[in-house]
Amino acid sequence: MWVFLLPSLAVFLLYRILPLAWNGVLSVQQFSPFAPAQWLGLDHYREMADDAVFWRSLVNTLWFMASAPVGIVLALAISLMVNTGIRGRDVYRTIVFLSYPLMTVAVGIIWRWMYDEKVGLFNFILRSLHLIDTPLAFLQSFELALPSVLLANVWQILGFYMIILLAGLQTIPQNLYEAAAIDGAGPWRQFRRITLPLLRPSLFLAFVIGIMTSFTSFDLVYVMTQGGPSHRSELLITYIYKAAFELSRIDYAAALTVVQFVLLVTLTWLGNRLAGGDAGSVEAG
Amino acid sequence: MTTKRTARAWKHASLHLAMVAVSFCMLLPFYWVLKTSLTGENIFVYPPSVVPVHPHPFYYVDVWYYIPFPRYLLNSVVVSALSIAANVVFNALAAYALTRHFRGRGAIITVLLSCMMIPFQTTIVPAYLITAKLGLLNSYLGLALPTFSTIVCIFVYKASFEAVPRSLIDAARIDGLSELAIIRRIMLPLATSAVATNVVLSFIWSWNNFLWPLIIVRDPLMQTLPLGLSRFLSYHENTTGALYAFCIMVLAPGILLFLMAQKEFIRGLTSGATKG
Repeated sequence: MWVFLLPSLAVFLLYRILPLAWNGVLSVQQFSPFAPAQWLGLDHYREMADDAVFWRSLVNTLWFMASAPVGIVLALAISLMVNTGIRGRDVYRTIVFLSYPLMTVAVGIIWRWMYDEKVGLFNFILRSLHLIDTPLAFLQSFELALPSVLLANVWQILGFYMIILLAGLQTIPQNLYEAAAIDGAGPWRQFRRITLPLLRPSLFLAFVIGIMTSFTSFDLVYVMTQGGPSHRSELLITYIYKAAFELSRIDYAAALTVVQFVLLVTLTWLGNRLAGGDAGSVEAG
Repeated sequence: MTTKRTARAWKHASLHLAMVAVSFCMLLPFYWVLKTSLTGENIFVYPPSVVPVHPHPFYYVDVWYYIPFPRYLLNSVVVSALSIAANVVFNALAAYALTRHFRGRGAIITVLLSCMMIPFQTTIVPAYLITAKLGLLNSYLGLALPTFSTIVCIFVYKASFEAVPRSLIDAARIDGLSELAIIRRIMLPLATSAVATNVVLSFIWSWNNFLWPLIIVRDPLMQTLPLGLSRFLSYHENTTGALYAFCIMVLAPGILLFLMAQKEFIRGLTSGATKG
């Protein structure tokens, strides 16, 4: 049986496990393509502590995680509406989900265009409604660049959250609602006492995927803002790319990756603990 | 009775209204890019026209002159084809092994589930060095290799294989079929929808992949379509309709495949997600 597993395991060893270990090794080394690597200790981590761009991209990455709760709340509302058995639910579902499998580079280019200062759709709408007088340069603005990319991210991933939540909604037994209705519980109470607790695993799953996405949204940032202006929309992943492949600092990029990975694992683990910690109360309530 | 019915009708009407609004927001970017690809946009004229004025297909022709589109297309197709073929075969082999009982099976499953927690994006630096050591920079194999097997897709196969009756496999074994022949002649024909899921998912993932080609491809002739798009953006201004025609041409295959195989796609994503 091991023979059958070999090809797949080789791929994972070569491109998941080995890189993970090598990142750790590289992060404490001085790397040069022309000379053997030298032991350096924690110098890269010390440098990181004083690196303003690193802190900026770390904070931005945490901010970018806001796309998860925003997207999940929207997706929850949409799933509840689609799940009522209205006519054409499959059409609605397809439309909402359509943006998810798209090439993210193209999505970035499309949204860049919609944010355009002169002829972009957003400026046109806002100006037509007289909400603003002068056009906004969304992607060149210190304050607006990151939220603008975040909105594009929500647009793309919304359908995926919806699919997860719909799958969760369909596992809730219908007779619970009937029983609750007989007991005189209104829609809001039914939602709070039945839907939300029983949907907890799906919500948590969507949240973990959301966290992962915010740590890996390279394509969108690279195409829309390149991390600019002056690193205001820089994420850890784009900074890692720049450090390794534009500044040729392979070793420093590896140290950044270690920090990013530890953070990612900690956050997911924490989320897991929170979701599992009081999962028992579902039966009690 | 009638009041109840009108209440229901009202409820449905408001639901439809809300969902139409949602659909409108979701489709708006598609409309806007399609419009620009057919009319272009004069950035010195405000306001931009909301409906297409004098639409023409010439931007779609321009794309072929601006960039070596056929070459990018070929590269993308070759890389995707390699990835699909490898996924369909490797994942089936691995999944079949996991349906059997052998020492270390539990450990393997644990390793696979933990590997799912390592996003490819956190491996780029060493992955680049490894690929360079293998001498695969700027090559089709190098582009496709990291995507040759996908954990989600292994579990999709596994679920499908587990549904095949034990007696059928035992009978085949008594008839003298080798394990490989069992996979090929019995498992795969009974798991066509798992095969479809593997094809669709590995196509979408390799077709859309941007970061990896960006890192390992320097040769202009080896660029895939997403790289071509980003090059186009940095070499020409983003106001030409050709850029958006290019976007549409690149998005179309993915959208078509998705609409045709939506069920398989969603099944793969949800089953993979719940496994993780």
